[in-house]
Amino acid sequence: MDLFLALELIALALTGLLIWHSASTRGAAFTWMFFIGGAFLGLVRENVVAQVAALNLYSYSPVAFHLWVGAAPLILMVFWSYTVYLALTFSETIVGGNLIIGKRRVWVILMSMVFMSSYACLNEAFASMYPMVLWKFKPALTIWGGTPAMVLWGYAGMALIFLLALLLVYKLRIRTIYRVMIFCASVIVMIPLHLLWIAIFRLATSAIG
Amino acid sequence: MNSLDKSPNFFIREIPLIVLLVFWVIYSGIETIRGRFDILTSIIPTGLFIIAYVLVRLTSKAQKGRD
Repeated sequence: MDLFLALELIALALTGLLIWHSASTRGAAFTWMFFIGGAFLGLVRENVVAQVAALNLYSYSPVAFHLWVGAAPLILMVFWSYTVYLALTFSETIVGGNLIIGKRRVWVILMSMVFMSSYACLNEAFASMYPMVLWKFKPALTIWGGTPAMVLWGYAGMALIFLLALLLVYKLRIRTIYRVMIFCASVIVMIPLHLLWIAIFRLATSAIG
Repeated sequence: MNSLDKSPNFFIREIPLIVLLVFWVIYSGIETIRGRFDILTSIIPTGLFIIAYVLVRLTSKAQKGRD
């Protein structure tokens, strides 16, 4: 079997395990919101980034990925939710907090952002080997394998925006199905916010390049 | 009874650690096999998170044992 297809299938299977963990430890409402909202965010965001040339960011290598939804690899349907879920769970354990209850919430979010940046190093350096991502611009700052340093900032921003939006919608006193729908709809706010977050970094580092 | 009322078993509780370890081993393994030692250090930040997580789990277990 092709290495990439195997990796895509492994990632889907491991996300299944995380959904099981979430349902067992955090409940059905949280799990539906987190993973359906995450899938929606991944597919919409990555299609926007890959297809809107004016953003001048990146597209995905057609050689690397096998399963697609539009211009985005299918794996992006689970990518943001599993990375943010790992970030949240690791951070809650390490700082002894809980995002939903409100115990050390600020520390949980900050640690999640640090985790996401760490995961960006692992993932994007690996992605640069093939490459999985085709960058459309020459970055001012790069990390391993020529990956833009912007990705560390970008991953951290995704944790911040995703977790704050999730918290906001989760606290609404309405039925789960409506919370899931509102969280999915909130991607139209989350995506521009995240693009703005990235633009700030690009602007701040443009003088270096 | 709600499933959340029961404490999950060890396997379910540690699923996030297992998932991250699998990714970590796959990525570092492929980088090593392909001779990409220039990017192998990219696994260190996540490795520190894994160590911190395991240490917190172990110390909290030891704490519970003393209590």
